[in-house]
Amino acid sequence: MRSCLLFLLFVLLAGTQVRGQQTLDTIALHNVVIVAPRLSDFASGLKTQAIDSATMARYRSADLGTLLEMESPIFIKSYGLGSLASSSFRGGSANHTAVLWNGFNIGGPMNGQIDLSLVPVGIVDEVSIQYGGASALWGSGAVGGSVLLNSTPVFDSGLTVDAGASFGSFGDRRQHFHFVRSTSKWISSISLFNTAARNDFLYSNPELLGTPEQRQRNAELAQYGLLAENHFRIDQRQRLSLRFWYQNSDRNIPPILAQANSSANQQDQSYRATAEWQRLGTKVNSYVRAAYFDERLQWYGTSTDSAANSRSRTLIAEAEMRIRIASGQRINIGLNNTFAEARSDGFPERQQQNRTALFASYRINTTNERSNTTLSLRQEMVAQELVPFTWSLGGEYELRKWLTAKANVARVYRIPTFNDLYWTPGGNPDLLPESGYSGEAGLGAKGQLRPGVKATAEGTFFQRTMDNWIIWLPAGAYWSPQNIMNVWSRGVELRGELAWRVGGATMKLAAMTNYVVSTNQTAKTVNDASVDKQLIYVPIYSGHGKLTVRYKGLLATAGVNYTGYRYTSTDNREYLDPYVLVNASVSYRMSAGKKYIADLMLQGFNLFDADYQVMLGRPMPLRNFQIGLSVRFNQANSTPEEQP
Amino acid sequence: MIRNHFLGKALPLALILFMLITLSACRKDKPEQPEETPITIGNDHGVYITNEGNFQWGNAKVSYYDIATDNATEDLYQPANGVALGDVCQSMVLFNNKAYVVVNNSGKVVVVDPNTFVATATITGFTSPRYFLPVSNGKAYVTELSGNAVRVVDLNTHTITGSIPCAGMTQELVLAYGKAFVTNESKAYVYVIDTATDAITDSVPVSRGGNSIVEDANGKLWVACTGGSGTSPALYRIDPQTAQVEAAFTYSNSATNPWRLRINGSNDTLYFLRGGVYRMAITDAAAPVSAFIPTDGRNLYGLGIDPNTGTLYLADAVDYVQRGMIYRYRPDGTLLGTFFAGIIPGGFCFR
Repeated sequence: MRSCLLFLLFVLLAGTQVRGQQTLDTIALHNVVIVAPRLSDFASGLKTQAIDSATMARYRSADLGTLLEMESPIFIKSYGLGSLASSSFRGGSANHTAVLWNGFNIGGPMNGQIDLSLVPVGIVDEVSIQYGGASALWGSGAVGGSVLLNSTPVFDSGLTVDAGASFGSFGDRRQHFHFVRSTSKWISSISLFNTAARNDFLYSNPELLGTPEQRQRNAELAQYGLLAENHFRIDQRQRLSLRFWYQNSDRNIPPILAQANSSANQQDQSYRATAEWQRLGTKVNSYVRAAYFDERLQWYGTSTDSAANSRSRTLIAEAEMRIRIASGQRINIGLNNTFAEARSDGFPERQQQNRTALFASYRINTTNERSNTTLSLRQEMVAQELVPFTWSLGGEYELRKWLTAKANVARVYRIPTFNDLYWTPGGNPDLLPESGYSGEAGLGAKGQLRPGVKATAEGTFFQRTMDNWIIWLPAGAYWSPQNIMNVWSRGVELRGELAWRVGGATMKLAAMTNYVVSTNQTAKTVNDASVDKQLIYVPIYSGHGKLTVRYKGLLATAGVNYTGYRYTSTDNREYLDPYVLVNASVSYRMSAGKKYIADLMLQGFNLFDADYQVMLGRPMPLRNFQIGLSVRFNQANSTPEEQP
Repeated sequence: MIRNHFLGKALPLALILFMLITLSACRKDKPEQPEETPITIGNDHGVYITNEGNFQWGNAKVSYYDIATDNATEDLYQPANGVALGDVCQSMVLFNNKAYVVVNNSGKVVVVDPNTFVATATITGFTSPRYFLPVSNGKAYVTELSGNAVRVVDLNTHTITGSIPCAGMTQELVLAYGKAFVTNESKAYVYVIDTATDAITDSVPVSRGGNSIVEDANGKLWVACTGGSGTSPALYRIDPQTAQVEAAFTYSNSATNPWRLRINGSNDTLYFLRGGVYRMAITDAAAPVSAFIPTDGRNLYGLGIDPNTGTLYLADAVDYVQRGMIYRYRPDGTLLGTFFAGIIPGGFCFR
């Protein structure tokens, strides 16, 4: 096994989407202030994937879970249309994917993760996926990879109003309204969004005699929210950004295939407010950020007497400095303090936790940016206890103009969640953080095959060992989490893209394949047959293919996604069958002058009626459609205001 | 582009080669199919094992072990009916040549032919059924974890004909002197139901966490309670005629407290789980302090005693997410053998 993978590593002659040209420090363009997040600056050697703007537009009214499922190799454990969605990134658990909104980790303290079905793609402009362990940069949970959600303010863009509505199968209706006033000094924007769906799709129930056709029941969804952003350019060097995101979600929880009925309901309510001040100097950039998150979850079971409530509040404060110490050498140093408190029906009393982390990075690059190396360090303290000292070392080297090599090794960790520590009964306050080592190496190539034909290719091998992996095991009458498993994950990811022109049309063909082996290495009890077996719900093979055609205002895409077998028992005797989903979309952009743009979009999902289950016992919809129209108006500032 | 030529040829080649290797090497995508030995249930003695499966995964199974041939089959229901049994199979009872299989989170009791395991009827309308007790030829009671009631079932029409209000989570129950004695996990009482009137007529104060109940050779009832909320884990001996506790055998609270109380065929020896297996004669003056069969690193989850031979069947649920292992012991505690069942084996039903 090991030698086989080593062999694969050596055959790795497929490439990376070289991001050298995107490696930005802080560049103040005329109207745009681009502030490189730690991602592109200090994540040397890690594979990254930015979701392109056309794809972002297509998923604008969708949730993050759907976007990642369709466009990234992250396996999304979706419990059904509109239902809970968690992730498995490179064979990790749902707690091993860090999700950061404008630099703040939004994984709640209760279970250390965020329900990806509750994050609307439309709240940000950019989604990037950073593969691999980056605990030294992002802290606990950045183990399998990180999902970075960012918005970049654009000053002096005038008045913009953007409104849209869509209708879909199963009573799906979505609306958004976005208003921005942007001058050279300040930006004020507000977004409102609303989603409602019945989700009463038809499916054949394989669990009932005669596999009768049934309509999904109790799956209604109502979600609305507001995002307000204000950015102020205090002077040429200083900027203040304020953001507020409120969201309310009310979902019924449908029955599983083997259940006759369900009347369960879940309500999630969240308030997230952030502030960031930054000063960009010639040598030193300073940042001070703060965030306050308040999340409530109320769950009502099918029987009248079952209910669960929880509420958590998180206060994050962070200060960071980026110093150019010499030509091609930069250091980043920062301090983060995260205070979380939670109440839950599962805890006897309110629980609190304070975490402090000191982090630093040193990056050196050649003047032509053909190579760079970064060393990062992080020491976190949780409730006065030091968690494993974390580091990462990575680099990127342009071997040829068209060929780049990257490699990264890192120590990674994940601290126990409040549920792990305090749940009554069973919570184990003596749990240690999960920790391990992760490494990856990849090659990327890009170039012009012949005039008008561009190709990029990327191949990455990764491996990770994780010790003290927390699982809940029986401890008598109840379950209790233990630091018991050791998990070895490894795999190969390939990605290729070919773009060419035919007449006035631009064609793009993209494909990615993923091979992920993630196995338990320790027997949990004497009869445990799970040693050296694949973890449940981690597909070994998966792949995506997508063809995009753009002709004038017309944009058409057709995508195919394959998800391989997923085991549902730890001894790998039980499994779910693979499935292939074929989706397509057509959109047409009309514009009137420079001010008006209208986009009409038609999307079809699961066009070949695949009858599949992502999670055992949870039905998924057959062929379904969505049609949407959005209109955008932009009025540039009449007299360009003078630059300060 | 200086290296167009090389790139144009080598790159696609390398890509194709690499994809081929990736797709062919290392781990197969298609899992190995588990071998199944077909089994025919004859007139011989055998044991049905109810496997809960995982809550909300719908992977409950009923396994069968043929004592004479030492053969086991993991699932009887799916091959016989073409569909899976449902979500969380809690228990099973044989009565008048029919098998009543209680499928907890599917809210149903499936009536099957015990020989072919083909379903002949389904009783629906339960909230969270746990245990089934026939109280006459035409009537049975079914306890419910939630629903705050014990359901009355007509065995001829296969319908729920009534509900006996009983707050809390009702568990195992037993019939004695025309009355049903019902344990209740969330209350500190055993409730007494008059089977003629289908009404609660009395209650017996015990510890909380009452979960299992058996009748001994002297006509006395024994109850196992896990304790909680200030009450001690304990075994109680109850006189069913007076509905009074005759004796209490308490334990101090620990991680594992008494449950799965069973009695042998001659109704004179009690067995229960408390981590390991504990054994107690009905005449003993004190509860046993050490395990008769120790845990030995296993996750002991189910216990059954063959009424004909006294053989103990002990289920190890391992990590709850893989097939469990069943251990067979002689009444003296010597190991006879092992076989595999389904995921989370919890109940045994002997024929």
